[in-house]
Amino acid sequence: MNAQAETLRKNLVDAIVECDIDKTKSNVEASRGILSPQEIIDALSEGMHEVGIKFERGKLFLPHVMVAANAMTSAVALIEGDLAESMTGGSRGHVVMGTVEGDVHDIGKSIVSTMLQCAGYDVNDVGRDVPTATFLEAVKEGNADVLGLSALMTTSMQTQKEVIETLIEKGMRKDVQVIVGGAPVTQAFSDKIGADGYSENASEAVKLVHRLLGN
Amino acid sequence: MAKEYALRMGDGKRVHLTKEQIYEDVMAGSEDAADLADVPVLDSNDVDEIVEILMIPGRMVGVESGREVPVTHDIGTLRIDGDQGNSGVGIPSSRLIGMMMHERAFGADSMELGHIDYSFKPVKPVIAQEMQSMEVVQQNMIVPVVYGAMPNMGLYYRPDGPFDNPGDLMKAFKIKEAQQATEDAADHLTRDMVWIMQKMMKSGSDGVNFDTCGAAGDGDLYGTLRAVEALRKEFPEMYIETGMAGEMVLGLHGEIAYDGQVLAGLWPHQQAKLMAKAGSNIYGPAINTNTAQTSAWNLGRAVTFVKAAVEESPIPIHVNMGMGVGGIPMFETPTIDAVSHASKAMVEVAGVDGI
Repeated sequence: MNAQAETLRKNLVDAIVECDIDKTKSNVEASRGILSPQEIIDALSEGMHEVGIKFERGKLFLPHVMVAANAMTSAVALIEGDLAESMTGGSRGHVVMGTVEGDVHDIGKSIVSTMLQCAGYDVNDVGRDVPTATFLEAVKEGNADVLGLSALMTTSMQTQKEVIETLIEKGMRKDVQVIVGGAPVTQAFSDKIGADGYSENASEAVKLVHRLLGN
Repeated sequence: MAKEYALRMGDGKRVHLTKEQIYEDVMAGSEDAADLADVPVLDSNDVDEIVEILMIPGRMVGVESGREVPVTHDIGTLRIDGDQGNSGVGIPSSRLIGMMMHERAFGADSMELGHIDYSFKPVKPVIAQEMQSMEVVQQNMIVPVVYGAMPNMGLYYRPDGPFDNPGDLMKAFKIKEAQQATEDAADHLTRDMVWIMQKMMKSGSDGVNFDTCGAAGDGDLYGTLRAVEALRKEFPEMYIETGMAGEMVLGLHGEIAYDGQVLAGLWPHQQAKLMAKAGSNIYGPAINTNTAQTSAWNLGRAVTFVKAAVEESPIPIHVNMGMGVGGIPMFETPTIDAVSHASKAMVEVAGVDGI
């Protein structure tokens, strides 16, 4: 990569890290014809990776992550015509996410949903205080790859187990990977109730889904 | 074979480590905190002291004579009556009896009156009952009794409240609208908390404990700091304790500022100064436990955060020690070995003023 191309690549990374939609789009325009579409996407992805690290370290926050993701989506739309179909960044998988019945806590689950959305997953956030039947319906309808169950209370974490048991009863367990999270939930609890994965926080949850789906 | 000591993992499981392994984990935890919050790592004397504390074989340890600190209980009023589903022991009793047991049998130095939902907003419809309870409590208790509840700003978003849920708005890339909803909710939160505390102060409360501040992000803390400021102005002598929900202020708004200071991303040593500026008397840091790490790692990390806060705080620090915070495992009823070893380290190494 020559010096001009390297500067353009770096500008693309920086624009995403700065969470600046206009700058990202103008840098994409400036890069067309000099960087290949693949190189442009790689630079944007590198920027998003850096944004993810800054989020994990408490240097950037959810609104910034969303603006960066929006910048990336808008930028990719500009070069869509130049891309082969396989490169347009379709969904990496379908995730159903919700807080189990009896638990009205929303924020942690919403952060995980948003981070997964930013990471390229198609997320159906079915809300909080969600009846087990609604989870099963959403999994079935969306042919979900992953079901995320959140619980913030020791009283409601047992419902995560009930959802898994119901999936088994209905013969749906093998079709979907189940991940669990929430303040009182631990890896040991996740193992005990037969979930496929657990993570400490939103960033780890994204890595977990990547791992489970081989992304 | 090197001698091993029985410690805990962050989820409460037993783990056996050598002295060298304990030392390495305490150091690694300290380095993690120092890196995140940009505070000093613990010096070798502090690390040695934590290691020595963790190696004490007793199930329960205590601080050295003369180093005792005040101990208080958030929602201790309900610990006796509530069963395991409510993190309690299930002995039928009133809130008053629960408080008196804490005062006269368990040695609590101050207490709070809290209601079963433990959020401020739901106090509004039952305010007369809470005022009456506070009066009765104050007639029977000797130690200071404050009113306590969580700001819990999530209750102001749909479907529980009038404002659109910022989580949903952000997922639709409506960032400005999400920030506006946060600001609107914070205004309502401040108004409700001030109103409730005006009533409770009329009923003889010694003050307020704002518990788990920032649970709904930076807007939640913003609303609370403004309530602290207003209450301090109106009641110069009241006790105001502000305890946090987690180690770092979550940035769900991302840009909201109090007194020119952006709240998102603040760590305990920075939070302490802001709490004092708003008018709090006591600041309560809450350091999250990582369930995949050992208690040595978690304690080294927690003490590093808290020691830095103690050194920079203009007001006393009463650290949160319990389920999943302060180096204590995430477990419904944490084991006494984990609680007492961690508490000793917080007092003797971090130098907290209370628990």
